[in-house]
Amino acid sequence: MSAITVGILGGGRWGYALGRAAVNAGNRAIVCTRRDGDPCPEGVEVTRDLHVLGARATLIVLAVPSTVARPVATALGEHVSGAHYIVHAVRGLSSEGLLPISTVVRQETPVKRVGALAGPVLASDLLEDRPSVLAVGSRYPEVLECTQRAFGSASLRVSVSDDLLGTEWASALVGALLVGVGYGRVAGVREPLLAGVMVRALREVCAVGVAAGAEERTFYGLAGIGDLMAAMAQNDARPEALFGERIARGEHIRAVREDMDVRLEPIELVPRVLAFAKARGITMPVFSALDAIMSGKATVEQITAQLMRP
Amino acid sequence: MVSQRMTEPTIFRFNAERRDIVDEVVTRVLAESKDPLLLLNDAAYHEIKRLESHPGDERELLGNFKNLARSLGRMGDGERQGRLEQLARMYAWDIAGNFNPKVYRFASRILPSLVGGLLSPLQTLAGGGPDMALREHLVTQGPVGDIARLAQLGTLVFVPTHLSNFDSVVFGYGLEREQLPPATYGAGKNLFTNPLLSYFMHNLGAYRVDRRIRHQLYKNVLKAYSSVLIERGYHSLFFPGGTRSRSGGVEEKLKLGLAGTGIEAMIRTAMRGRPQKVFFVPATINYQLTLESRTLVEDWLAEQGRARYIIQDDESTQLERVLTLVRKLLLTEGSIVLRFGDPLDPFGNRVTADGRSIDRHGRTVDPLSYAQRDGKLVLDATRDAQYTRELGESICEAYRRDTVLMSTHIVAAAAFEKLREAYPRLDLFGLLRHRDEVFVPRAELSRAVGELRDRARELEDRGETVLGPGVRRRGATELLDEAVRAWSGYHSLPVLIAQGDGYLLSDLKLLLYYQNRLVVSGLGYSQVRGRGATTSGGASRGPEGAV
Repeated sequence: MSAITVGILGGGRWGYALGRAAVNAGNRAIVCTRRDGDPCPEGVEVTRDLHVLGARATLIVLAVPSTVARPVATALGEHVSGAHYIVHAVRGLSSEGLLPISTVVRQETPVKRVGALAGPVLASDLLEDRPSVLAVGSRYPEVLECTQRAFGSASLRVSVSDDLLGTEWASALVGALLVGVGYGRVAGVREPLLAGVMVRALREVCAVGVAAGAEERTFYGLAGIGDLMAAMAQNDARPEALFGERIARGEHIRAVREDMDVRLEPIELVPRVLAFAKARGITMPVFSALDAIMSGKATVEQITAQLMRP
Repeated sequence: MVSQRMTEPTIFRFNAERRDIVDEVVTRVLAESKDPLLLLNDAAYHEIKRLESHPGDERELLGNFKNLARSLGRMGDGERQGRLEQLARMYAWDIAGNFNPKVYRFASRILPSLVGGLLSPLQTLAGGGPDMALREHLVTQGPVGDIARLAQLGTLVFVPTHLSNFDSVVFGYGLEREQLPPATYGAGKNLFTNPLLSYFMHNLGAYRVDRRIRHQLYKNVLKAYSSVLIERGYHSLFFPGGTRSRSGGVEEKLKLGLAGTGIEAMIRTAMRGRPQKVFFVPATINYQLTLESRTLVEDWLAEQGRARYIIQDDESTQLERVLTLVRKLLLTEGSIVLRFGDPLDPFGNRVTADGRSIDRHGRTVDPLSYAQRDGKLVLDATRDAQYTRELGESICEAYRRDTVLMSTHIVAAAAFEKLREAYPRLDLFGLLRHRDEVFVPRAELSRAVGELRDRARELEDRGETVLGPGVRRRGATELLDEAVRAWSGYHSLPVLIAQGDGYLLSDLKLLLYYQNRLVVSGLGYSQVRGRGATTSGGASRGPEGAV
C-alpha cells in the first residue's frame, strides 16, 4: 500500500511522538507548530503553515490541550474540506460543559468525519520505537482504516472502536483516575487496596459515561481499563500520575501545576463530572475523593476511612 | 392554477416515466442482491406468515409463495435470479404511484375549499369564502422564497414534525398556497382503502407503503424507489418521526428511514456525472388544539409507565370530535402554524438561497466532498447511515428552534407547574392521580402564565423558539382565557374547571400533553430531564442511584 501523508497539529512531545509513529509505519508526517525548542524526530517534517497541512494531508491529528482545542480547530477550519478526516489526541473534554472535543471539531470546521485517539501509549515509547498499543474511536469506518494505515506498524498496534463518545469519555475520565493511582502509590496505599479502589472507580466512570451516551464495553477496552492497568504497573508514569505523586508528597497544587509544563486535564474535569453525575442521581465516591485530594481538602487517612465504609 | 414562481413541476411527467422508474428500481435491487437465495427465503417466510393470518383476496399469492418456498432449494442460480426479478417487479409496481395532472388541477381548485370547508363548515354554509377562512387559520412562516428557488436547483425533501392525521392535508395545502411545488410521499397502504382518499392519493403521486410487509427485499425495493424519485428530481415529503408524536412533544430523536435515501441519491447522480442537488427542508406543524391528543397521550403514558398505568377507554366518536375541533379552531386566528426551517444539505449543512452549502462559520462547502474516499466518490452504507444519523440531529435542532408555542401550550405548562408545586415529591404517575384536587386562583395562574411567556420571549429573542401569532404581545390573562376557551367544549372533559375566582386542574393528562410541547426548549416539565435542564452532551438514559 502506498505511503500517505499524516498531518499533526501541535508540536508538543505527544505531537512529535505521533509523527514518529507515522514515519515508522512507512508514511510521511508533517507537524504544524508555532513552538520552538522541542527536538524533532528523524523523518518528521515541520511547518508553521496550516495551509500546508490541509493541502498535503487527508488525515489530520489534533494534538493540543483541550483549552485551546476550539480556537485551533477554528483556524484549521479555513484550510480543510469535507474530504478531510480529523482525529484528536486530547485526553479531556471541552471546558464548556462536558462537550467531547470531536464535537468541537465538527462545530468549528467543515469536517464531519472525526475520531479520537486514546489508550495507554506513552510518547517516550513511540519516540524510541518500543512496541506499544494505540486506540482510535470513530463512527466512520474510513477514519478507523486511515488511522490504522497512518500509525499501525510492527511496533504499534492500533485497535479500533466505533464508539467515539465512549472512547473520549473513557480516555478523559480514566486520565483523572491516574491522579489517584499516583497519589495512592506515594501515600503508602498498598496495591490490593489501590486495586479495590480503582475497580470501584471504573464502575463509577462507566455509569456516568453510559449516562452521557457512551457504551459500557468501551470502558473495559484499551481506552479505559487498558489505560488504568498500564498506569498501575508502570513507574515511567503519565503526567496525571506524576501530578498525584507530587500532591501526595505535600507539594502545593498550584506550584505543581506551574512547574509541570503539561496541561493537567483532570483538575477542571473532575468537579464538572461530579456535577454532571449529581444531576443524574449517580454517586461517585472515588471521584469525590479525587476532588478532595486535588483541592487539598482531605488527608489520605480521611479518604481511606471514607472509602472503607461499606 | 399553476404558479408563476415555478416551471412545471417534475411530477407532471411522472406517468410518462413510470415504467422507466420501475425498471431502474428493479435493475438496482438486483445488482445489489448478493444472496438471492437468502432474500427469496426471507420474503417467502414473511409473506406466508402474513398471508396465512389474513389471506383475504390474496390466496393466489399465498399459493405462489408456498410454491416458491418449496422449490427454492432445487433451483439453479439463473432461476433464482429470475424469481427475484419477478418479485422485485411486482413490489415496485405495487409501490409506484400515479400522477394525473387533470386530477391535480382539479384538486388544487377544490382542495382549499375542501380543507377550508373542513375547517370552517359554518362559514361555508353561510356562504363566506371557505378559502378565506383557511387563510386566516393557517399561518405559514419561514424562508418560503428561498425554498422556491431551491426547488429549481435540485430536489426538495420536506421533513416536517408529525402530530396529527391532519398533517398531510395541512402540509399539502401549505405548499399549494405558498406556490411551492407539490411533493410525492409514501402513504400507508391502509389509507388507500378509503375510495375517495385513494382516488386522490393515487392520482397525485403518492406511493403505497405496505407496513405489513417486513422482509428485506421489500425494504430494498422501497428504498430504491425513494432514491430513484429523488435522483430524478421528484420533490418528496417524509414524516421522519415515523408516527405521530405520542407525547405531544417535538421529536428529539429521528431515525429518518426512507428520508435517508437523499444522501444516496445525491452521490449516485454525481457518480454518474450529473449531480442532482438534494435539499432537506425541516418544518414544524403546530396546532393550538390536536384532534387526537387524548388517544395519543394515553398511548404514551402506557408506554412510559409500562405496568403502572392502566388505559381507561373514554373515546367519543371521531366525526363529533372533528366537528368540535373545527369549531374551536375557528375561534382563534392563526390556530395552525406551518413553519418551514432553513434548508439543509444531506450532511446537515445550511444551504443558501443559491444552493450553496455552508458550514457554521459561513464557509462554502462542497457537499460531495463528504462522499470522497482517497479522492474518489464512493457509496458506503455504513458511512451514509452515520451521516444520516447526524442529519437527523440537525433536523431535530431545527425542530427545536422552530417549534411554535401557542396559548394552550404555555397555559398548560404554567398549570402543570402549579400541580408540581402542590405535590413536590411525586413523580409523573403520582401527579396524574390528583385530578380535580388542585385549585389555583385566577390571578396566580395568570401571573405564572405571564412569567413563562416572558421566559419564552427571551428564548425567542435568542432564536431558540418561536411564539405563536399574538402570543408575544398579548396580556397573560388574555392568553389564559384564550386557552381555556379553546379547550372547553372541544375535549370531552374540561381541562381546567372554572370555579369561583380560579380554576381546578382537571384533565391532567391533557395538561401534560400540551405542556410537552415546551419540553424541547427546556421550559416544560420532563420526568426524564428535570425541569429546565439543558442538554449537556448526551442522552439522559442511564442508571439511577448509587453504583
